[in-house]
Amino acid sequence: MIIRLILSRMVLAVLTLLAVSVFIFWTAEILPGDIAARVLGREATEESKQAFRDRLRLDRPLHERYWLWLKGAVQGDFGVSLVDQSQERQVADSIKPRLKNTAILGVYAFALYVPVTIFLASISALYRDRLPDGVISLVNLVGLAMPEFVIGTVLIYGFAVKWSLLPVLSQIQRAETLKEILNSTTLPAVTLTIVMSVYSIRLLRDSLIEVLESEYIRMAILKGLPRYRVILFHALPNAAAPALNTMALNLAYLIGGVVVVEQVFAFQGLGSLLVQSVFVRDAPTIEAVALLVSTVYIAANLFADVMSIVLNPRLRTG
Amino acid sequence: MNPLLEVENLTVDFWNQNRWVNVVSHVSFKVMPGEAMGLVGESGCGKTTTAYTLLGYRRPNSRIDKNAEVCFDGQNILKLPGSALRRIRGKRIALVPQNPTTTLSPGMRVGRQINEVLAAHGVSGGERQERVLDLLAHVRLPDPLKTAQKYPHQLSGGQQQRVIIAMALACRPDLLVLDEPTTGLDVTTQAQILELLMHLRQEQGMAMVYVTHDLSVVATICDRVGVMYAGELVEEAPTGELFRNPRHPYTRGLIASVPSVRVPRQRRRILLRGYLQRDQLPPGCRFAPRCLFAHESCFSDKQNLVTAAENHQVACWRWSEVPQLATEIVEELPQPEIVSAPKGAPLLQVDDLNCAYEYHRASLFANPVAKLVVRDVSFDIRPSETFALVGESGSGKSTIARTIAGLLRPPSGKVTFDDQAIAGKVGARTQDLRRDIQLVLQNPDASLNPRQPVLQIIGRPLEIFFHLRGKELRNRVEQLLDDVRLDKTYVRRYPGELSGGERQRVAIARALAANPKLMLCDEILSALDVSVQASILELLRALQAERQIAYLFISHDLAVVRSLAHRVGVLYLGELCEYGQVEEVYSPPFHPYTHMLLSAVPEVNTESRLVPTVRSDAAEGTGSRKTACPFANRCPWKVGKICEDVPPPLQQVSETHALHCHIPLEELRQRETWSKSTLQTAKS
Amino acid sequence: MVISWLRRLPPTLIIGMMILAFYLTVAITARYWAPYTHNKIGVGIPFSKPSNDHYFGTDQLGRDVFSRVVLGADDVLILAISSTLVATVIGGLVGLLSGLVGGWFDQLLMRAFDALIGIPFLVLALLIIAAAGSELSGDTRLLIMVVAVVYAPRTARIARAVAIDLVTRDFVTVARARGESVFSIVWRELTPNAIGALLVEFGVRAGYAPIFIGSLSFLGFGVRPPTPEWGLMIAENRAAIFVVPMVVFAPAGALAGLVIGLNLFTDGLARWIGRSQGAASG
Repeated sequence: MIIRLILSRMVLAVLTLLAVSVFIFWTAEILPGDIAARVLGREATEESKQAFRDRLRLDRPLHERYWLWLKGAVQGDFGVSLVDQSQERQVADSIKPRLKNTAILGVYAFALYVPVTIFLASISALYRDRLPDGVISLVNLVGLAMPEFVIGTVLIYGFAVKWSLLPVLSQIQRAETLKEILNSTTLPAVTLTIVMSVYSIRLLRDSLIEVLESEYIRMAILKGLPRYRVILFHALPNAAAPALNTMALNLAYLIGGVVVVEQVFAFQGLGSLLVQSVFVRDAPTIEAVALLVSTVYIAANLFADVMSIVLNPRLRTG
Repeated sequence: MNPLLEVENLTVDFWNQNRWVNVVSHVSFKVMPGEAMGLVGESGCGKTTTAYTLLGYRRPNSRIDKNAEVCFDGQNILKLPGSALRRIRGKRIALVPQNPTTTLSPGMRVGRQINEVLAAHGVSGGERQERVLDLLAHVRLPDPLKTAQKYPHQLSGGQQQRVIIAMALACRPDLLVLDEPTTGLDVTTQAQILELLMHLRQEQGMAMVYVTHDLSVVATICDRVGVMYAGELVEEAPTGELFRNPRHPYTRGLIASVPSVRVPRQRRRILLRGYLQRDQLPPGCRFAPRCLFAHESCFSDKQNLVTAAENHQVACWRWSEVPQLATEIVEELPQPEIVSAPKGAPLLQVDDLNCAYEYHRASLFANPVAKLVVRDVSFDIRPSETFALVGESGSGKSTIARTIAGLLRPPSGKVTFDDQAIAGKVGARTQDLRRDIQLVLQNPDASLNPRQPVLQIIGRPLEIFFHLRGKELRNRVEQLLDDVRLDKTYVRRYPGELSGGERQRVAIARALAANPKLMLCDEILSALDVSVQASILELLRALQAERQIAYLFISHDLAVVRSLAHRVGVLYLGELCEYGQVEEVYSPPFHPYTHMLLSAVPEVNTESRLVPTVRSDAAEGTGSRKTACPFANRCPWKVGKICEDVPPPLQQVSETHALHCHIPLEELRQRETWSKSTLQTAKS
Repeated sequence: MVISWLRRLPPTLIIGMMILAFYLTVAITARYWAPYTHNKIGVGIPFSKPSNDHYFGTDQLGRDVFSRVVLGADDVLILAISSTLVATVIGGLVGLLSGLVGGWFDQLLMRAFDALIGIPFLVLALLIIAAAGSELSGDTRLLIMVVAVVYAPRTARIARAVAIDLVTRDFVTVARARGESVFSIVWRELTPNAIGALLVEFGVRAGYAPIFIGSLSFLGFGVRPPTPEWGLMIAENRAAIFVVPMVVFAPAGALAGLVIGLNLFTDGLARWIGRSQGAASG
């Protein structure tokens, strides 16, 4: 029963990912105009254009090219970047270092986000409608109204300009020691944390309150259990599933936020690569980054799904 | 002896949409050690709030009056600090709440949930495990070792409630507070839980405060009863005294509203009129707006409890006149007509009907399953006749109604209406047929569209079936409202502005609008308070007399069925095990299942305490294994292997009465104890 | 009468309405009283501090920031509301239909929506912008479409859940037993009950739309300069935050105020609808 359920979720995730890849490939490849002419310039000879088309297999039908692209992508080969034809730069090569940087940033931000969110949401739920809840809600609302680029800019203004604690621009590509890495990622990570927390504290607070108002919590209290037991053994396990889902959903904000935040701090990551590629309309790079990012997102949602199945005794024991 | 519990002046308000609303007002009562005190009243009377306050629990957004006292063993619970409260809760005062399914923590094994109560109250680790198993055995759960390892969802509702009782008893409390502990359970399960509670009380001698809306349960289990209305205690007396000599007009009306399973057709009852309207309470007696005997002064003068007899207190200044006044009113009531089942050709004929729900795939890999929930059921209904189907949850009775209504396609079987075989699905039926058969459902909250005014709700069938428009339509709707005894001004109201009973009347009016020949009534009373139930029953009878409508009346309530139906069919796990004229089914010989159901019904009128005959634990099994006789696994009179292997023969008791059983009729007659206990009661 | 009715409304709804009314007024009337036009260059020394001539100072081209902020209100409002409206109408209808009809039609649509939701929304937006090509870059219609494509599947999911919940309700059962057509059921029974949830959904999305569009502008894919869009203004003036913080804080504050107003309004609306539905069910 449970294995079946998990398996079907996995199949569904793979199907979704396939559909995503089709969509990504299709949007990136319908870029209007003759790609060869655009990349090689108007002066290029007909032969060189033809050679370019042959190399990129542009004359083949779309579904065939999709299939070849997908086959490559699974093996980590995303083709050749359209930019700077003289160098024949592999997309995978330009992605790798940036993937690492973004991963560091993402993990750092997530590591900050989870405890902050759980802590603030719990306080808010436990002190419902009282002062701490009011303060948190108010701060939350203000945070909700601030886009990443504003928060980032304000943080730069405070920490980098006024107090000179951290650098204005992130130099992650040159950072080597842990201190340097922290130095260059803290501000972007904090920005991301704020943005994500703002979206999930409210959700988590509401689902916690729902659990706290449930009859089994009331029963646990009226059994004479100490408060810590009520919260630790009765409230938290039952609030875990919604919390996990909230956090997985927030990965979408994390990834979206990364694009903007990297731009704010001139951070050399996947997000800024994507923005640059869209500017120069480098289809293979766009495709690769979009696919990578979507895979992470879908995988995270799958993980949350499976975890909430495993955590639910109703499903676990059939 | 000092009282164990003394409640003094308890007043509770809830914060609701920017203002305080009073929920409990100046309630005072005492409970002696070992005594069982009942608190009864209809929904919204404040009984549950009172019960929770006894444990020192205050709902968020509520306030308890400063002068209120809840003294338990000399300590005022309301003034205790949290740590002291924790020491009392679960140890000296324990709770059994209403809904077992939502009360047990879903992610924790039930054994551990009992264990942690013991741990919290200082029982040492080694002793605990043993005590848990002991407790589970004590509440008669099968195989305690295995049960302790289960999660709540793996247990049935009755078993879950046993676990909660075990949890409540863990520290041998002095006081057990029970809030509707059997509501929502099947009648046989209820009987077992009640029997268990009575047994445990005898054995452990704890006091109880038992909160319920069900007078018959209170009559069964309590020594003393307090009746609550709109947050006030209006009458308090020992159980026998209260049911013999009810003094308060509300108590009288309440008792009269409960149909008895032992009396053929209720006659001459005074019913409570109207319903509780919290926003229109007068400053005086809160019951005055509904009281048949109210004077002008009642609306302005507060009524306090006065002593009417020894131990009997009532909050009505006319208490001494009330019995006389009530008798006069009863004398004036018209005598109901003698009941006899109508003769003639059947209007609806159901032959060998099978019904199934088709389930959607549970997951990507699961196959869709069609589960047969009704097997080979046959019955017929004549014009202006009431045919009742009774059975517990899961018996398939609602499925039959839905199939006849054309919402489900039966896999096999024939349904004939007015001598014409009718199509399975509603889409394939003629307009006339759709008009002739109307469906009324259990919960009027759900069956009325909350975004439509009454005019549109009742008007829609008139539009489709009779093409009425404008003024004509409105006139007809007003007329229909009048037919169901509602005011014409209701046309503009939305369902949210109506009470539960009024909504059900609107739902009935909507069905009547089609001018049907047959009305399918699916548990239409079970979501309503008893006083409202009684008035809707009256309405149904009157409508039948006026319009010659036939009813297919589906219910789990045997008393209601006896007071309304002409003929009855008893359904168990989708099979009809007994059917006949109503008085035939309610007198011996009984099918073993019918007998079990009847014996399980608690009663108001019995002087002596009910001793449930449903003792066997197998009685709660779900009967998942398919046996030839579906009841074989639960049957207390099971003959042997034959019951599992050979389908029981149909035994004809009379021309109209028949049952499926291997046991000969004569033996069934001898075995039954239910009607014999009637005789005893009548004698005493 | 009106006042007592207003009193029964949730306070957040009233505050939200007041903020929105303020923004609307500014959006409609600003062109008549704004001291300068939005693109007049050099009305003051670039990056001058706030003064009586320039309440919020001037930007790098010496444009009056105050005028640009108030004149930008209408563009921001129109963009946010029209794009969300398109998404809600399309997503809502498709979702309701999908939930009602069920079967393979529903499955197919839901898988397609899952795929669209499976791409993080800013990435999806950039994909569409890239596909549209540079000719359309900065076009209002493109922005509306981008927001609609990103929002519609999410709205559809909500609408579908609402529809699936509603079709099992007893009043729909009764309507089906009466032989009503599918169209009649959608129109009479479902729509009046679904409208509340969709309205709240609309509010939530509309509350995020200005940030979304602002982010796109910040990245350089939003509206074209010199349109006084607040996100774009922040991006243009960001470097000046060290000199004249006001030129960044003014558009940021304007944006934040609008988002707060929309959020309060939606929160209040949800409470109000929940309350009237709560009253309806007991």
